[in-house]
Amino acid sequence: MPLFPSVALQLSTDTGYLLYIIFFMGLFVFQFAFGTRIQVYFALNDIGRGLTKLKVMKEKSRKEAIDYLVNVGKAPSDPAQRVDQFLDYVTIMPVGIDPQGLVNKIDHIVTTNNDRVRAEVTALVSQNNPVTVSISENLLEVATALNMIHKVVRHYYILGKKTNSYFTLIQLQMLMPMIIQESDALLNAVDSFKVGQPVGDGIGPVSVSRMMVGKEKRVIAKDTVMAITEYKGRKLYVVKADGPMAYVGQPGVAIRKVIEEMGVKPSAIIMIDAALKLEGEKTGEIAEGVGAAIGGIGVEKFQIEEVATKNKVPLYAILVKQSILEAITVMRKEIAEASEKVVQTLQRVIEEKTKEGDEVLVAGIGNTLGVAQ
Amino acid sequence: MMSSVPAADKKSKLLVYSVEECPVCGQKTKRAFAVGDYVTKDGSKCAKCGNQARVSLVYAESTKPSG
Repeated sequence: MPLFPSVALQLSTDTGYLLYIIFFMGLFVFQFAFGTRIQVYFALNDIGRGLTKLKVMKEKSRKEAIDYLVNVGKAPSDPAQRVDQFLDYVTIMPVGIDPQGLVNKIDHIVTTNNDRVRAEVTALVSQNNPVTVSISENLLEVATALNMIHKVVRHYYILGKKTNSYFTLIQLQMLMPMIIQESDALLNAVDSFKVGQPVGDGIGPVSVSRMMVGKEKRVIAKDTVMAITEYKGRKLYVVKADGPMAYVGQPGVAIRKVIEEMGVKPSAIIMIDAALKLEGEKTGEIAEGVGAAIGGIGVEKFQIEEVATKNKVPLYAILVKQSILEAITVMRKEIAEASEKVVQTLQRVIEEKTKEGDEVLVAGIGNTLGVAQ
Repeated sequence: MMSSVPAADKKSKLLVYSVEECPVCGQKTKRAFAVGDYVTKDGSKCAKCGNQARVSLVYAESTKPSG
């Protein structure tokens, strides 16, 4: 009597173990054989969703640019076809095999491109208002950037799908949240640009514009103005892009001209600019440092470093921290209110680093949309 | 390993203001941004001393506390 249940129990336990082992071995084999394919499937779905979002953003920015050209710029004819050509226009960077003189070549290409954009936009709108033209330029730049982002992501998506390349798709999938975030920031910038509101990047111009109000201004470089003022016995040469247009100007050319053509011998060059904050840092925080505080492709930075080094002028930087979204969308309260602290910091740096009778060059770097002088 | 595309951030509404400041008495007045406003643009007369105020700041404030 006691024998049979024990055998039955023994049998059932052995079968259970066997099934258990088979199940996990099967799972292991399945994972080994199909795991990558499953991940590829999920990655494709994920990237596909992101790509749809990017397409919507791209089309929205294109439509906003066309609407602005028609409604505000009063374009005489439908600008859609010209805008589409504009979005696919490419700038071919010079060859870098022989780096000597490379910056000048880049400068030449970039200047040619900027002049072309300005001329085309001016031709597209039927009015000569520089604010409208500069806003149109910025809107088209946003649409071009979103168009390019969408194209590149789509390229790797299709390539990964075609070749079933696990690593291409996984890398793209991991980058997608950042790509979407930056694209979203670009799209949000459109709203500020359309109505001419200052953006976070304009904190440099906002800070120095206070020193230029009521002073005589002269055009010192393309889209760049300068005013001369005084602070505690020092002569200040204040430079910023010409506002309230959406210009960034040519601060590199302006600083070189002040020093080399006007014969000014500054004891310091102080640059004020927006700086990208790291996650966890507070918006509107001010940081001080040395060096040329300017972003972009590097041409202006090179020119400023070159002229400062040649003339042995120390370069000081005052930076206002902000995120990429805050830098290209309407200026946040924390950033705007930092302008007072920036001016106080600037005054302290001038007092500490220069003496009475010295000349000082102050440059407010950034997009000066909505900030005159 | 899986990283997902985030849903659109929960956007708090941004209200844009222009701050007019009197260069003589320093009186500040905050009002809603009007298209055409820019920093250093002449504003209305100062409510305190009657001098010409000018736009000193244009900024956006979130209706929700920023995180």
